Amino acid sequence: MAHYKPPVQSKVSQLIDVIVLVTLTVGALFVPLWLHMAGSSKTVASPVATPTWEALGQNAAQAKQYEALGYTPESAHDLILARFDYSFTVSALVVMIVVIVAYYVLMLRFSEVEYRDVIAEKFDEK
Amino acid sequence: MADFDITSKEQDGMGPHGTKVGLLRVLGPAHVWALGVGIVLVGEYMGWNFAVGKGGAYAALLACWFAGILYTCVAMIDSEVTSTVAAAGGQYTQAKHIVGPLMAFNVGLYLVFAYTMLEAANAITAGYLVSVVATMTGYSGALDQRPFIVLVIMFLAWLNYRGVLATLTFNLIITAIAFVAIITIFLSTSGLLGGGIMQHAALFEGHELPYGWIGVLASMHFGLWYYLGIEGTTQAAEEVRSPARALPFGTLAGIMTLLIAATLTWYVCSGVLPWEFLGDGVNGSVAPLFDTARLSGSNALVWLLGIGTLFATLASANGCINDASRAWFAMGRDKYLPAWFGAVHPKYRTPYRSIVFLVPIALIFALGAPLDQVITFSILSGLLEYTFMPLNIILFRKKWPMGVIKRGYEHPFHPIPAITLLALCSITFFAVFLGYGTQLVAMIGFYIVVSLWFHFWRYRFVDRGAQFTMPWPRPHGY
Amino acid sequence: MQTWNYVEYLAWGLSILLGLYMVVDWLRTDTTYSEEVLTSSREGELEAMTEETFKG
Repeated sequence: MAHYKPPVQSKVSQLIDVIVLVTLTVGALFVPLWLHMAGSSKTVASPVATPTWEALGQNAAQAKQYEALGYTPESAHDLILARFDYSFTVSALVVMIVVIVAYYVLMLRFSEVEYRDVIAEKFDEK
Repeated sequence: MADFDITSKEQDGMGPHGTKVGLLRVLGPAHVWALGVGIVLVGEYMGWNFAVGKGGAYAALLACWFAGILYTCVAMIDSEVTSTVAAAGGQYTQAKHIVGPLMAFNVGLYLVFAYTMLEAANAITAGYLVSVVATMTGYSGALDQRPFIVLVIMFLAWLNYRGVLATLTFNLIITAIAFVAIITIFLSTSGLLGGGIMQHAALFEGHELPYGWIGVLASMHFGLWYYLGIEGTTQAAEEVRSPARALPFGTLAGIMTLLIAATLTWYVCSGVLPWEFLGDGVNGSVAPLFDTARLSGSNALVWLLGIGTLFATLASANGCINDASRAWFAMGRDKYLPAWFGAVHPKYRTPYRSIVFLVPIALIFALGAPLDQVITFSILSGLLEYTFMPLNIILFRKKWPMGVIKRGYEHPFHPIPAITLLALCSITFFAVFLGYGTQLVAMIGFYIVVSLWFHFWRYRFVDRGAQFTMPWPRPHGY
Repeated sequence: MQTWNYVEYLAWGLSILLGLYMVVDWLRTDTTYSEEVLTSSREGELEAMTEETFKG
């Protein structure tokens, strides 16, 4: 295999590459945020109308710690009762698995092609 | 002997390839420990408690131990590969030699993102801490946290710019103080010395597993936070005096320190704080060890843990700047990124352009995104990296079987750690999917796009054979 | 409490100073040294050296 001679990259082209990479990065973080699709929020499924420590399911020791932290049953209501929702659909799970596996397969295949080049040039041209 | 001279003043000690200005070899094993533990220890001061919120206190303990197994595998695998491939860039350089260029490019990006996001999370926490101190000293208005967030990033970037020895010596001191603070609060509240205030049984009553077993799975997501970043020790490879010994030693000592610190932290915090409060890192307990100290009734403990929290965030951000810039620098040096980044400062011997370039990036994340998002992105990048590691070690042992090349450290029981690691990573992917499925897909979408960009555009600027720098024989099967 | 407002300004000021230090030093370094010297660092120096010593 012929020795590969990479082209010299101009300053402007280097700058463009950096801008592309930074834009993609910031996009990956902020696009889900802007679309309000990010994160899992907790919700209170069944609020208690007149909260007491007992109604919130707290025993004496637990209530005492909450009071030491400066909470009342009213102010601790949302904190104590909010729960995550872990329900999911099988199709969403399948999509995730396919995306992850496809990503690694794609990467390993391209890497392998490039790697054979590297080894050939490194060890065959001496 | 070749034409290089170890005492040369012009050639930087070692110049078979013509390095005139290289990174400086000044670090010892203690610095490696400080780099690894320093990055991670903040995880015991904040963030891990999201795992409690995901599944309750017992789930967080199980996650702590399973994540501990995951990271023990990571540390073992990493120690073997890095004691053999000792170069700045760490896992990036490993991937380049063992798997291939595209994988290496992705791994390099995982590293930079995991660390830069973690740095942003630390700066946010430090800003919050300053505002708590302001409130405690009687300030009544709403303190603007932004100048403090910016100052943390600027100061640590400046420190990193000025030289690696001072940077990591600073890290060693503040990490040691933060670790001693955890031991102190454990000794003084657990009842081992004097009266204890632990009441696990009463606090857990009725809330043993609030979400059932799926909660245990879900809490694996933030279980990683107890240890995230320990693999960063490898980034120091080019600045350590004897990498083949110091890196395995520092890394394995680091993971042991963290296993102890993580379990003690869980024990102390869950024995004092009710789980709903402990598990909500945004509206409830932002800094759980600090909150535990507040309930202990001892002013000395409050100050000690307050200082410990601040030091832990600084140590972590400091190590992150160090690691992210080394990875970015290594990619620039190989022209995976513009070659401009591969420069070393002639006086301070640091990758100064990479350090300066990553400052505004960290600022964007620290000032523009909420804490749990930033943490999730950091964890996701880390998780992708841990999934790469078993592939890496399996290929490493296959392409260069034992005895073919000299390894500084050989990890036992291969391939059990690799398989265990892969299994635990799959579980964690599922845990992330339960809460942050959209981010997971967005993140992987991002990596697919940049992979295509790299393969079809960027890779043309890279030297083919020259990027393989290890003096190894031809790999088996090629 | 006014003190904390001054602390805020102090933090802004220090950040700007440190940032300026890095930018000025960076530009000065780039103009003083040639690009070949600055980007002369190569990976795997130590390995190459130990290996050649072994062969000695």
